[in-house]
Amino acid sequence: MNKIEIRNLVFHYTAGEPILNDISLAFDARSTAIIGQNGAGKTTFVKLLKGLLKPVGGDVVINGINTSDATVAALARHIGLVFQNPNDQIFKNKVLDEVMFGPLNIGQSQDEARERADAALAMVGLAGRINDNPYDLSLSERKLISIASIVAMNTEIIIFDEPTIAQDFSGKEHIKAIIRDLVAQGKLVLTIIHDMDFVAETFERTLVFAQGRVLLDGSTREVFAEEEVLRQAHLEPPHVTQLAHRTGLPGTPLTVEEFVREKRAQGAMRPVTP
Amino acid sequence: MKALSLYQDNGTLIHRVDPISKLLYIAAAIFIPVVLTGFTAGLAMLGLSLMLLVLARVLRKVVPLIGFSMLVLISVVIIQGLFYAGNRQVMFALGGVHFYREGLLFSAAICVRVLNILCAFALLVLTTRPSDLIESLVRQGLSPHFGYVLSSVLQIIPQMTGTMETITDAQRSRGMETEGSLMVRLRAFLPLIGPVVMNSLVSTRERSLALEVRAFSSRAQKTFLNEERVSTSNRVIKIVLLAAMAAAVAWRVVS
Repeated sequence: MNKIEIRNLVFHYTAGEPILNDISLAFDARSTAIIGQNGAGKTTFVKLLKGLLKPVGGDVVINGINTSDATVAALARHIGLVFQNPNDQIFKNKVLDEVMFGPLNIGQSQDEARERADAALAMVGLAGRINDNPYDLSLSERKLISIASIVAMNTEIIIFDEPTIAQDFSGKEHIKAIIRDLVAQGKLVLTIIHDMDFVAETFERTLVFAQGRVLLDGSTREVFAEEEVLRQAHLEPPHVTQLAHRTGLPGTPLTVEEFVREKRAQGAMRPVTP
Repeated sequence: MKALSLYQDNGTLIHRVDPISKLLYIAAAIFIPVVLTGFTAGLAMLGLSLMLLVLARVLRKVVPLIGFSMLVLISVVIIQGLFYAGNRQVMFALGGVHFYREGLLFSAAICVRVLNILCAFALLVLTTRPSDLIESLVRQGLSPHFGYVLSSVLQIIPQMTGTMETITDAQRSRGMETEGSLMVRLRAFLPLIGPVVMNSLVSTRERSLALEVRAFSSRAQKTFLNEERVSTSNRVIKIVLLAAMAAAVAWRVVS
């Protein structure tokens, strides 16, 4: 069964200035990245999925629930959204309390919430800091708190809004591992993101939004092969894909490892021997 | 960036008049009717303001302002019409309630005065970009620090509203109810206000750093980004306004 179904979705803030134009989509279990220029309607789309905005026309159905008929709080047990800026949500004095806030809100018992919060904090690598004040932690660690606070709610769908912002390489690797872990648990992971390299390495399916429409929809490899269409949406393929293209490598490698493998197969690179 | 302002960018002749002249106009609009008691001066000033508002094509924006003040003014008319201390002569009766001539005249004078002030201020607020107004005040000798405080307030309020919306969304996304009974709303207060306060503290510090790296508290004579627009017409407007006020005083003294 599709976890999310979108039928003829139309949305605008002011009549006559459409933000989203007749979008029909279904999300299965594949992890999906939504990419597009600023102002393409990505954030609005995610807010509609989350029920923070209600469609002007058409339907958004989350796990069989039409968002028009449910409150945001009621939808919260099905779909979680990690906001871009962790400072927009943190208000408790202890990391653990902050992470338990969501689970308790959606009706988990004290014990269950504690258990899930511990597990989520262990997953993001903050198990040792549960009693610290969140504001004593760095921004990238607070980002991990905000991720844990949504993971602990144990929703079937989790959306990340710009997860890699202000993260260094190891931070990105960490978040990538978290996303893979969630996918392995059978959760549907969505993200809106500008970091193409991260998309290529992490997500199975990619949607390209442009001017309120879905311009491309397919496996990440198919999408990044469409250089022309991407350019129309003012996007570029991942760096390693561009490099492959410029060095005349056939196919669409998405990761450095793939690139190296292809090159070696071509015989252009000798293995480095120490 | 979005700023808290009623400014309408219509680019008319009135928009090009410098802010100081408009401030002077407000002073004249208040001062002249006070000096020349009676209705004529007040109504004349009001008529002039309305005419200028039409010229600036902002009259439609004034209507809601006047509508709001009407609420207060109507109650003034009723109360004074019924209970003004000097009430002698009954003007009319409504269902056994007597309205008196003296009280109605007195309240009418108040109405003219209020509308007069309102329209004069509307002329300034609707046709002047706040930053332009503050810049010309700083040019006239207002402390740049105080000028910054004024203009930043206008920008920070919409910014805080935006942050507040994001925070509400973030907490609702974690299953927190924000609507419903008083108890629900009270419980929602802390999760909403906590991040707002923390965000404000953080952004205040960042703002002050950003200002300091641009020599905000330097004591050197500051220059301006925009060149001052000096035009004879603006000088003429100022002289006419000052002369009108002086003439009003003279008239009052002589007659």
